[in-house]
Amino acid sequence: MKSILKTRFGVFTLSVLFLVSTVMSACSPTEETNQSTTESDTDRLEINIMTTAYSPEPPSDDSPALKGIEDYTDTDITMHWVLDNAYEDKLNITMASGELPEIMMIPNKMPSFINAVRNGAFWELGPYLDDYPNLKESNEIVLNNMSIDGKVYGVYRARPLGRLGVTIRKDWLEHLDLDIPKTIDEFYHVLKAFKEQDPNGSGQDDTYGMVVSKYNGPWDIMQTWFGAPNKWGEDPNGQLIPDFTTDEYMEALRFFKKLYDEGLVNEDFAVMDPLEWGDPIVNGEAGVIVDVLDRGHRAQEDIQEINPDIEDPIDVFGAVEGPKGLRHLPTSGYSGMLAIPKTSVQTEEHLRQILTFIDKLNDAEPQIFAQNGVEGRHFEIQDGELVELDNGNNQLVYEKQDLNQFIAFIPENRFHEPEQTPLRVKEQEIMEANEAIVVPNPAEALISEVYSQRGQQLDNIINDARIKFIVGQIDEAGFQDAVDLWYKSGGEAYVNEINEQYQAIQN
Amino acid sequence: MAKPEYALKNQAKHQVQPLTKYQRLKRDKWLYLMLIPGLAYFLIFKYTPMWGVLIAFKDYSPFLGFWDSPWVGMDHFRNFFQNPDFFRLLRNTLYLAVLDLVFFFPAPIILALMLNELRFTFYKRTIQTLIYVPHFMSWVIVASMTYLFFTAGSGAINMLVENVTGKQINFLSAPEWFRPLIMLQIIWKETGWGTVIFLAALAGVSQEQYEAAIVDGAGRLRRLWHVTLPAIRSTIIILLILRLGNFLDTGFQQIFLMTNSLNREVADVFDTYVYFVGITQGAYSYSTAVGLFKAVVGIILILGANKLAKKMGQNGIF
Repeated sequence: MKSILKTRFGVFTLSVLFLVSTVMSACSPTEETNQSTTESDTDRLEINIMTTAYSPEPPSDDSPALKGIEDYTDTDITMHWVLDNAYEDKLNITMASGELPEIMMIPNKMPSFINAVRNGAFWELGPYLDDYPNLKESNEIVLNNMSIDGKVYGVYRARPLGRLGVTIRKDWLEHLDLDIPKTIDEFYHVLKAFKEQDPNGSGQDDTYGMVVSKYNGPWDIMQTWFGAPNKWGEDPNGQLIPDFTTDEYMEALRFFKKLYDEGLVNEDFAVMDPLEWGDPIVNGEAGVIVDVLDRGHRAQEDIQEINPDIEDPIDVFGAVEGPKGLRHLPTSGYSGMLAIPKTSVQTEEHLRQILTFIDKLNDAEPQIFAQNGVEGRHFEIQDGELVELDNGNNQLVYEKQDLNQFIAFIPENRFHEPEQTPLRVKEQEIMEANEAIVVPNPAEALISEVYSQRGQQLDNIINDARIKFIVGQIDEAGFQDAVDLWYKSGGEAYVNEINEQYQAIQN
Repeated sequence: MAKPEYALKNQAKHQVQPLTKYQRLKRDKWLYLMLIPGLAYFLIFKYTPMWGVLIAFKDYSPFLGFWDSPWVGMDHFRNFFQNPDFFRLLRNTLYLAVLDLVFFFPAPIILALMLNELRFTFYKRTIQTLIYVPHFMSWVIVASMTYLFFTAGSGAINMLVENVTGKQINFLSAPEWFRPLIMLQIIWKETGWGTVIFLAALAGVSQEQYEAAIVDGAGRLRRLWHVTLPAIRSTIIILLILRLGNFLDTGFQQIFLMTNSLNREVADVFDTYVYFVGITQGAYSYSTAVGLFKAVVGIILILGANKLAKKMGQNGIF
């Protein structure tokens, strides 16, 4: 090294090398993008789509299923997959960067999206939907739920309103000679029996009632059974009040605390990664999980994969009866929306092209490509029944999995449904039955300025207090302190804003 | 070490006939040329983005762009200082920063001193290499290892605790265990790597001083106290000053990964707050203001510590 440095030539070469490498590293990204644009077909409409991926290897640009969709819609699609658990972060960073794809999946009415919408960053799609054969069949309730300031800024990805429910180990119930619980009391006794009466017959104390994770969903679902409102309830004067100020909510909290104190839920739930949530059911540690109903058949398939001898290990039900009868927490009827940013789609003509594309995706053929894959490669139809050819072949599965993440499924599912096991049929029936007992959120469509700025902190205050109460870190007075803090930290203004808007709609 | 003869000669010549600026420029032109990439790097990647902090004084929206976003003056700072979160964040951050100085900062020094006492070079080298390894693991891995070891129910450490005391401890969710865990993680991960500089400084201590000390009858501890420590004192002080510059940096990833509903009270620090407010809620200006506040505190601390060091007769960093 020393001898090189000594010569003038050496010094010169080194400094040039430094310069070149700096310049190269600064230039390389643009080079790549240039290449990808020159490779693509020029006459087709180019569409960039950013959406969630759940599989470790989402479909690449040369997946035959994606090619099928491209051919059907006559477009050139570039996918920007982002793993689901990092999606919101990535989305916010992308929005801040200003370089946006033509179609962005927005998972919920998150504050940054609301702010962006208010700054005019996204197209209002409401007035256009009626011009498209599939999109015009959008559900009014769902459109209302997803609206911001009364306007619609995306095409929703449809999900059943009554999707939530309870999955339970049926073989354990049978072993202990118990029935599906009908009331909160019976539910408690089943959990207790699952903990104490050795439901798996192992002779050891190795089971517990219900598995819960860091994710707050189960508590929300269960507190509705006790009569707590869905986020907002009405007081006797017709004013909206937050759910956690009601007596029913406290009643539910005491019940949860009892479950925790008696060891009927897993002790580490507050730190458990939601990705591991389903494991205790599958490997026979816990007997109940409160989540979406379609977890039922997934759990069943997972259990049978490990232990094919167990015939029918899982059952599902919608809700148990509480003091106000059967009540069910509805989903919003959508799981995210496909929004179109104005920075990437600047003219109305371009917007119409994109909407035509989104509309066409709902035809049967693209739905089949996205959900089932390519006929003869991923699936076959024999005697009218779907036969999956890619079962167990990850390479094939990865070619199509997640392609359904940018399809709206409006007005209905048109792909080939898998063989309807009794469990799947039951899940469907319960989802429909649930719609009759849903507890609507009266403020679902209302947008609060305070909430869009401080919503995360406000939600954290109450959610944290709830968890702390359940594990016994704070008592009821402590919970009240948290509620007071909530009001002081902006909650009061939030309540006022929501009520003003609510009164305006009522009149 | 004596300077080589030719250097002395050169010096003497220059003293007689000083070169003009231009002549010096010409003589060292290759050195100046080599400076260009470094300068360019700092200009392009460090100084150019810096004007972005101006959005702390604006109501920045990415869709309006920098120029069209309205100026709001000190509003974001005022909001931040008046916010009930402020003192909680300050307390948590200071707490962790002080713990870091007290427990983590001395750890590499102690380890380096211990390594320095090892006789067998091969043995010493091997250990040195091995203790660097944790530094290269990401915080995600460290956090999941912590979860594996400490989780209630099935964690190895917790099983051990249960065997000894008959009860398990909720290390991961109990607020009082949050800070010890964070310290433990950072000491485990970074101590080995932190020894690099101290070992380099220790290698420069001349053997003659030790030999002299032995002749004077100094034992091991005496030698450590009177020869080794004074020799690396200036290194310690410089690193301490540099550390103070990042006093309020608790590190984002580590804290974020260890936070949950039950310990958020003690876990919220400026770094995670900037992320929550800035990224998840899109309040870019507000979070920039928070970040800027942190940087200003850092500068004040670094200047103060530097001045103090000079007053005490040590070399500062500038």
